[in-house]
Formats: sequence, structure tokens, C-alpha cells
Amino acid sequence: MKLPMLKMKKNSKVILKTKNVTKEYRMDGVVVKAIQKITLVIKKGEFIAITGPSGSGKSTLMHIIGCLDIPTSGEVFLDEHKVSRMSESKLAVIRNKKIGFVFQTFNLLKKTSALENVMLPMSYNGTSEEESTKRASEVLKDVGLEDRQYHHPSQLSGGQQQRVAIARALVINPSIILADEPTGNLDSKSGKEIMEIIKDLHRQGKTIAIVTHDPKVAVQAERVIKLKDGRIKK
Amino acid sequence: MLIRQLIVISLRSIKTNKSRSLLTTLGVIIGVASVILLVSVGAGLKDYITNQMQDMGSNLVMVMPGEIDLDKVGMGSSSMTQSIAAMSSSKLKLEHLSEIEREVPQITDAVGLIMSSASIRYKNESMTSQIIGTTDNFTDVRSYDYSSGGFFSKADVNSGRKVIVLGHKVADELFEDIYIVGEKIKVNDYRYVVVGVIEERGGEGSMSPDDKVYIPITMAQRQFGQDSLGIIFAQVDTTDNVPAALTGIENVLNIRLDEDEFTVLDQKEILSTVSGILNTLTAALGSIAAISLLVGGIGIMNIMLVSVTERTQEIGLRKAIGAKPEVILAQFLTEAVILSVGGGFIGILLGSGIALLLNHLMPTTVTLWSVLLAFVVSAGIGIIFGVAPAKQASQLSPIEALRHE
Repeated sequence: MKLPMLKMKKNSKVILKTKNVTKEYRMDGVVVKAIQKITLVIKKGEFIAITGPSGSGKSTLMHIIGCLDIPTSGEVFLDEHKVSRMSESKLAVIRNKKIGFVFQTFNLLKKTSALENVMLPMSYNGTSEEESTKRASEVLKDVGLEDRQYHHPSQLSGGQQQRVAIARALVINPSIILADEPTGNLDSKSGKEIMEIIKDLHRQGKTIAIVTHDPKVAVQAERVIKLKDGRIKK
Repeated sequence: MLIRQLIVISLRSIKTNKSRSLLTTLGVIIGVASVILLVSVGAGLKDYITNQMQDMGSNLVMVMPGEIDLDKVGMGSSSMTQSIAAMSSSKLKLEHLSEIEREVPQITDAVGLIMSSASIRYKNESMTSQIIGTTDNFTDVRSYDYSSGGFFSKADVNSGRKVIVLGHKVADELFEDIYIVGEKIKVNDYRYVVVGVIEERGGEGSMSPDDKVYIPITMAQRQFGQDSLGIIFAQVDTTDNVPAALTGIENVLNIRLDEDEFTVLDQKEILSTVSGILNTLTAALGSIAAISLLVGGIGIMNIMLVSVTERTQEIGLRKAIGAKPEVILAQFLTEAVILSVGGGFIGILLGSGIALLLNHLMPTTVTLWSVLLAFVVSAGIGIIFGVAPAKQASQLSPIEALRHE
């Protein structure tokens, strides 16, 4: 991956915008505000880190940015689609087209080859099997796993599994890659490798948001958004 | 998402849990197999009896003692016991036989029968057999081949000679030989001379001659101390004349007998009553077996619910990367239907296989309708009992599901 670093443009396109986003939960009759009035803009090609101690609301924010959940109030726009008031089915389509998830626990399907794991998102949008196989194979090659295509997750190391997960996120060519503690379950060497891949993707112009509590990971991003008690810390 | 993909995913998850899937389908397998098996026994019995009746020839009319209401037969045992009682207090006599033959033009032959059972002895061998006392023209109604000898003659009947014709099985058991004409055997305390052995005819039950012996009716009346007949068989010249013959016989008998002392039946009536009873029996057997299908369906639902809980994380991931709730629903429904239809298929093979094996012991007929019904029902079970777990899976929130450890 030796692509030239792309110059960031000051007025590049807005990928994601949140406006006064608040999310409340009801727990045992008590209303808990997980995040409050978060206003945030992520532009194309940006690499941001969302950080904060546990309970600061960073997971909730990531769920809302990732269209896994809708806010109690406020608005969220992704690629100019208002996703804050969409039905579950429509959100599924948005996630399928625009968001590449990378999870702490990889979340690969067991007893399913790396290739098929990467093909999975395309099985939900009607891509032909031939086309999916071709694209999945290419992306796996990009993350350096061309010789591990037919291995099952149990036959791969943690770092390799996370690379399969990154390939699965990349294969749909998402507007934004959302990584939730991507190095959390890895040893430091594999963790470093994964961060290198993420930084490489950034250099290629991908938009990346990474959620982490680890300051060493957060500093590698261009911009750090610190959360505390559900609010952005200035 | 294509149906083919859904099937591939479902098959993979079934394959991943081979033994669990097999145990799940076992309920459906047993249910479907028992439906097919029990229905085949019922249907086989019906075919068998129908064949036996048809074997008698469609031109046969029966006169039975007493009053028999066919509509009531099978509804309860009362009319059955009634007709058995009537048989022992029969008012039908040999004279009626000749009157029928003489007065009803459509009748070509009329045969009277007395049925009883007695022990038969030859030297040290003895057995119990059904004794049929009849007239010489019995052979005109039932034509048999003879391994040796032949049937007794009119003279034998008229003078009440102690002669006997043996069925193949009887001859085989007493003598281990079939060339035994002239040998003497004892029926209770009367000594009879064997005049013929009927060739093996196969089959079982009332119509097969294999396990019976035949003596002149005059001798049977003497031996069993009764002057009446148990039943009269009358042969009608053509099938079209059967209704006319029925009325003819009734008119003749009404002169000497009361209306409730005899019943004239033709084969069609008996056949429809018998098949009515057997259809009810088949349906009853099938419904009992169907209960096990229901239990099988509940088993599928149970396992699918466990499977949904177990695969919460997988469901969450699928949803996160773009599976709509409907697709998740379809996936789990497909899995349930594959399990139940697969079980149904194995059950059909198993049930039909056992039915075919059983055919050596008892009549069984695997009917197409029971196979189709079992297949449709098992698919239906998959859908009905798969909906609840699939619905549960589709409604899981991706966040909760991903958090699930």
C-alpha cells in the first residue's frame, strides 16, 4: 500500500453531520442521558478518534453515527440522507451501502471462510456471486491475506481475523469506516499492524472514525473528540 | 437476498449442528413415518377386504339370518352381536334354498352353508379347523382346483355320507401329504373319508379355502345338531339382474318367513359399508399419528428458539452490515422449513419402507394422498412453528445483539 498521501482540502465534502443529538435511555424508570446535544461534523477524508472514559457515551455516539440506533432528539445526516428518523429497514440499507464496521471482537462468522465472511455484506444487496467473489478476493489481497482466503476464523490469528473484518468493511466501498476499539482484543504487535492498515486507508482518502479509550491509539488520528458525561469536552 | 442464498446459509447452519438438527427433526420423522405407516395399514386392510369381496364375484347375493341394518354396523357393537345371535337362531332352511333356486329365474345356483369349528384328528395329529357344511353345487359358486380327488357329489349330500374335502393347509398339517384320498379322519367323534384336497389358494380369512374343511350339509346338520343354514349364497346370471334377484329372493322368503328373520344383501352394499368402516378407521389411525407430528413441530420451535439465543451475535452482525429484519426472518424461517421438510422426507421414506416390510405380515398399501399430505403438513409445521423464533430473531436490536457475549 504505497499510495501517495492525498492532500486534505479545507472545504471538502461533509460526510456526516450531527446536530444537537441527544440519546436517552430508560433504566429502571430513571431516564439516563447517554449523550447530550452533540454537534459534530466529519468531512470526507478525515480520520477522527472519539475517546473518553467508559460511560462517557462514546459507544452510544458510535451507534448513532453508525446508524445502528436513532437519537431521542436532534438530527443526523449521512451523505445528505437524514438518518435520524429512518425505519429499521431503511437504516439497514444505509448501513449496507455507506458504513464499514470494524468491531473489537471481530465478529466474523464461525465455520465460514475468510472469503465468504468478506462477501457477506454483498449478499444483502443483490450483488452477483461472481462479482462478490471477485471483489472480496481483491480486498483480501489488499489487506495481505490473499493466501488465507479459504481459512476459517479459528485458523487465523487475532490480527489476521481483524484484517478479514477490515476487508469486510472495505468491500462495500463505504462512505465512512467506523472502528470500535479495533485493537482492544489484540496483542501490541498485531494492534500496531492494524493501526498501520487504518492509517494507510486514511492516506488513500478513506474517511475513518475510531472509538477508543486508549490515548496511544487516539493520538494517531488527525482529530480527537473527547467525550465526558455525554458531552463533547472542549 | 436470493432464495438460493437463504437455502445455502440455512443448510450450513444445519450442518454446523448436525446432531442437534437430527434430534430436532426426529419428532417430525417419527410423526410423518407413523402417519404414513398407520394410513397404509388402514388402506391395506381396505384393499384386502375389497379384493376378497370381489373374489367372490360381483354376481353374488347373500341371504343372512335375522335383520341386519348395514347403516348401523360399525356404529356400535350391538348390531354385530345381534347378527351373530341371529345366525345361531337361524330360520333359514334347506327348503328355502331349493325354493330360491326354483322360483327366482335370475338365480343360477344357490348354496347353503353351515359354519362351525371342530377338532380334526388323523392318527396322533390333531388340529382345530373351521368346518363348512355345504351342498355339492358349492363348487359352482366357488371354483377351486384340486390337488387330488374332488368335491363331494349330490348323492353324498342327499344321503348324508361322511365324506370330507380338506383345504391345503389342513391336509398339509395333518398328513404332510396331499395324495390322501380314501384316508379316514375324525371330526369330533364322527369318522369321515377324505374325498378331495383343494389346491393351495393363498390369502387368509373367510374367503380362503386353505384352512377349512368341507362336509355335506346334511351331515353337518346332524353333527352340529341344527337344521338351519348359517348363510345362503346365490349366484345371479348377470350383474344387471342383481336388483331383480334381490327382490325375487325377498318375495320368495316372505311367504314362509317374517321380514325380520332374514336379510338379503348384495356385494355392493356390503362393500360400501365395509369400506365406510375402514375409512373411519384409517382416518382415526392417521389422526392419532398426526398428534406426534404436532409434538415434532413444537420440538422444532423449541430448538429454533435456542438457536436464536445462541446465535444472537451472528444475527447482530448480519443486521449491522445490512440485513433487513425481513431477511433475518426469512433466514430463520427457511431453516425451520428445511428441518421440517427434511424430516418429512426421511419420515416418508421410513414410513413407506416399514410399510413395505410389514407387507409380508399384513396387508399394507402406501397411498399417494398420505405421502402428499405428510409432506405438505411437515412443510406447514416448519412455517407455523418457525414463525415465532424467526420473528424473535428479526426483532433483535443489532446493538444488543452485538454486545451479547
